[in-house]
Amino acid sequence: MRNRNGGDISSLIEPGRVHRDVYTDPPLFELEMERIFGRAWLYVGHASQVSAPGDFITTELGRQPVIMVRHRDGTIHVLLNRCTHRGAKVINERKGNAPRLTCCYHGWSFDTDGRLAGVPVPEGRAADFDQGAFGLAHAPRVAEYRGFVFASLAEDGLSFEDHLGPMKRNIDDLVDRAPDGELALDAGMHRYVYAGNWKLQVENVLDSYHVPFGHASTVNRQGVQFARREGDRKGATVVETEKKQTAASWKERKSYIAGNGHGWTSNTALDDGKRSSPAYDEYKRALAEKVGAARAQEILTPRLHNSLIYPNMSIMGLNIHVRVIKPLAVDRTEVTIYPIRLVGAPAAMNSGNIRLLNVTHSAASFVQTDDLESFVRAQKGLRSRLTEWVDISRGLGEEEPDRELNATRALATHEMVVRAQYKAWLGYMHQA
Amino acid sequence: MSTTESELERFLIHEARLLDERRFREWMELFADDGTYWVPAVPDQNSPFDQASLFYDDRDLMKTRIERLEHPRIHVQTPPSRTAHLLGNTVVESADDAKGEYVVASTFIMVEYRDEQQRIFAGRAHHHLRREAGRLRIVRKRVDLINCDSAFEAMAVPI
Repeated sequence: MRNRNGGDISSLIEPGRVHRDVYTDPPLFELEMERIFGRAWLYVGHASQVSAPGDFITTELGRQPVIMVRHRDGTIHVLLNRCTHRGAKVINERKGNAPRLTCCYHGWSFDTDGRLAGVPVPEGRAADFDQGAFGLAHAPRVAEYRGFVFASLAEDGLSFEDHLGPMKRNIDDLVDRAPDGELALDAGMHRYVYAGNWKLQVENVLDSYHVPFGHASTVNRQGVQFARREGDRKGATVVETEKKQTAASWKERKSYIAGNGHGWTSNTALDDGKRSSPAYDEYKRALAEKVGAARAQEILTPRLHNSLIYPNMSIMGLNIHVRVIKPLAVDRTEVTIYPIRLVGAPAAMNSGNIRLLNVTHSAASFVQTDDLESFVRAQKGLRSRLTEWVDISRGLGEEEPDRELNATRALATHEMVVRAQYKAWLGYMHQA
Repeated sequence: MSTTESELERFLIHEARLLDERRFREWMELFADDGTYWVPAVPDQNSPFDQASLFYDDRDLMKTRIERLEHPRIHVQTPPSRTAHLLGNTVVESADDAKGEYVVASTFIMVEYRDEQQRIFAGRAHHHLRREAGRLRIVRKRVDLINCDSAFEAMAVPI
């Protein structure tokens, strides 16, 4: 094992390549848990998952077990799921509702803002026992933007505003599509694990290069992927079959970066004027009634598609969902996919999205399963010590400014977004 | 025409065998034109329309799924899965010979081997069957895995 001081870590990242150790080295993974997942703003959950007082969900930030809970006064708290008495995990369910959070071991109970509310058997308590000092630990920093709740496990660091930066408009792009201007993540979830490093999934969410190859089995003889969305007649053309190459329209797609490891890809318009079905037409009417026809058309002609909010979540704009990436070990990762319901849209529109996600992103889906296979094979291949470097040089030096979007732009089949992720990675990792 | 319990059970065994022998097109043909195949993602799931499911295929989606399973470059089936189903504890929950409609509950274990790894799926299945032109067809197959809400490694073949 190498000594992982700052200079040594910097040597793992070069302009167009990354050393294999960043995917395979267990001590480096431990350092990532400390320096990235212990510091960065991480996506925790969505406000709609805890809509009523006492509603909670449990998850992990890195490997720290946390409870996201709605208090009586409406505030959302992110609490460490660890009893302050003898250390047991307080809440074992993935979600639920409780007036108090009660530990199974000795019955200590905590209010939904974390304060210690009850300690059974007062006889025997230390004379100087300070009940106020035994509340559940809070994530030091918590922030919310339009229902998306983030937390940082570090007291100090980049402010939430500075971290999220221009990615706000990517969230806006999605939330604005709901006629009532809000989203609900109440349609269950898809969960899967793969035997590979967490960054393999992070790198993949904005990767337009792999689609014709990784997903060859979902592209039909005409080079078209199956139709995906309510009201669409056919899917995207990704291959020109006669020339047996990636389609020109696919190659023209753009990707963007704007700091902190975040990025997004462009999309063809959601509504090209041809998209139509009873549910979709009703949705368009509902949106136009709320925001006016002109604004509705603007919302349905976005420039944003898949967005990565580094390091642990993405919002996907086509088959709309939130994706959360949770590292389990250097070679094991869990991913959760939450279908998004557009509040105020017709039920058939939302149910169309839920059904679509079964096909594209369940553990048994047609699309994501081939990505998982690629991640597993990458992890296996990266065992090879004779080829030390992973190449991420596509389009290096061809990046160009996009002044209108205040971002940097490249072709989506380039690897600019991956290079941006490693720049952010190094920013977290090189600081002791 | 009455249908005996043993005929219903033989139908289920035949269905499982088609899956184990990767005769997916013949398997699909067991489904009625309006047939659906559903594997919920949470226990006691009420509906496939308002909650995520592991599988919810109508005949159209089944066809797309099977075309993919036949594709030479389906990476997640390179190498392909081998499966063995064992089913039992069959109970005919309802039988209407006049309409030719039957509901059969069963318990199953499916062992899957692929790429040096073996794993086990287990749960209960409900088959809603209908006799059409003399032959039994599946109107709805619901598979409730005991671990349906856990995190899975990639799945490719129907259960």
